[in-house]
Amino acid sequence: MLKICNVSKYFNDVKVLDEISLHVTRASIVGLAGHSGSGKSTLLRCIQGLETPESGHVDCCGKIGFMFQDFQLFPHMTVLRNLVYAPTLKKKTNKMQSIAKAEALLNDLGINEKKDAYPESLSGGQKQRVALARSLMIDPDVMVCDEPTSGLDIATTNDVSALLKRVNKLNVTIIVASHDLDFLIKLCDRIVLLKFGKITTEVSPSQHAETSLLLKSFYDSISN
Amino acid sequence: MSKFISNFLYIASGATLTLKILAGSILIGLSLGVLFSILRRHKICKAVVCGVVSVIRGTPTMLQISIVYFTLPSLFGFNLGILATGIIALGINSAAYVSEILRAGIESLPKGQFEAAYTLGVPSFYMWKDIILPQVVMNIFPALINETVTLLKETALIATIGGMDIMRKSQVIAAEKYEYFTPLCTAAFVYYVLVLLIEFMGKKVERKRLYAKNL
Repeated sequence: MLKICNVSKYFNDVKVLDEISLHVTRASIVGLAGHSGSGKSTLLRCIQGLETPESGHVDCCGKIGFMFQDFQLFPHMTVLRNLVYAPTLKKKTNKMQSIAKAEALLNDLGINEKKDAYPESLSGGQKQRVALARSLMIDPDVMVCDEPTSGLDIATTNDVSALLKRVNKLNVTIIVASHDLDFLIKLCDRIVLLKFGKITTEVSPSQHAETSLLLKSFYDSISN
Repeated sequence: MSKFISNFLYIASGATLTLKILAGSILIGLSLGVLFSILRRHKICKAVVCGVVSVIRGTPTMLQISIVYFTLPSLFGFNLGILATGIIALGINSAAYVSEILRAGIESLPKGQFEAAYTLGVPSFYMWKDIILPQVVMNIFPALINETVTLLKETALIATIGGMDIMRKSQVIAAEKYEYFTPLCTAAFVYYVLVLLIEFMGKKVERKRLYAKNL
């Protein structure tokens, strides 16, 4: 589904990604973990095409949905318009169907009563859920989420996790970067650990009962 | 007293030409200003647009009006009326300033707004029309009102090529008896009322937009 081959990325002279290679199979959920500045977000941006790698390439067969860490909702549009705007630009799309789909997504995320509100009046968690719903509106084959649970309480984190699992059941591949290890362990099939722009190791929560300990020792090794 | 009123009405009637030039130049200024600010984001056009904007901002408005009025006929063989000269010269002049205001507004938007549009597959035209420009205009609205006020005052320069605007009409009255104080103060009063009107309408629109946003 997604092939990342020897991708390197520099910002000025700093090597942020160092020959990263990763194959992601269809309908899998891959988590990216690592300390701040390890290259998680840059790798996600390279996958989406927001950054051009200096070397290597990313091959993806399908549409990519991207959820930004800082949401990037359009502040002058209501929640509902944020969701239906891009899909309804295409002539083939039926506006009423788009609205119904958006309302169903907002219902799933428990924020349908905010559909006529502007992003400014939403809490951080609500904005996050709107951003997630908006990226799902374009029916992505691959869903890329950058820190989808930062700033969320446990209950909302679980909601987001459940929603991503449901999306995954629809044959959507999910790549998610997060610092929330419990969230990654519960959600992902594979967790890829990044350190200074390199993949150091991979763990599979379903196969490694001690995943939590492995991740903890990885973070400890960074801080030491 | 009746003389004062008739003089006042004569000077105030110059507002017709002033407002026609203002409306026309706002239209040209905004359209060209938007075009300039979008073109300057393209590598090839950037140098040309920056050069044009720099020259316009770096030369006196009166000189620009004179170039349009006196040199275009000899260069291209057609005469422009005073109204057309005012609209074209002040419109192009305003476009340079509007493009600078817009540039600041566009640069103040988070890069993520462009990226969000890109990731959602929004075509470039719609991105500018529906996502970027509405936000930019909202942010720079007070600066645009300021530019309109400046433009209104600059229309007085049209008097130098014989345009019968507020300024020129006050000079005509003043020249009748070499009495300058009353006619010039009358002109100042008319300009000031127009400026207050623009500011009032600007604030009303701004409040309306803020209210709609915070519903």
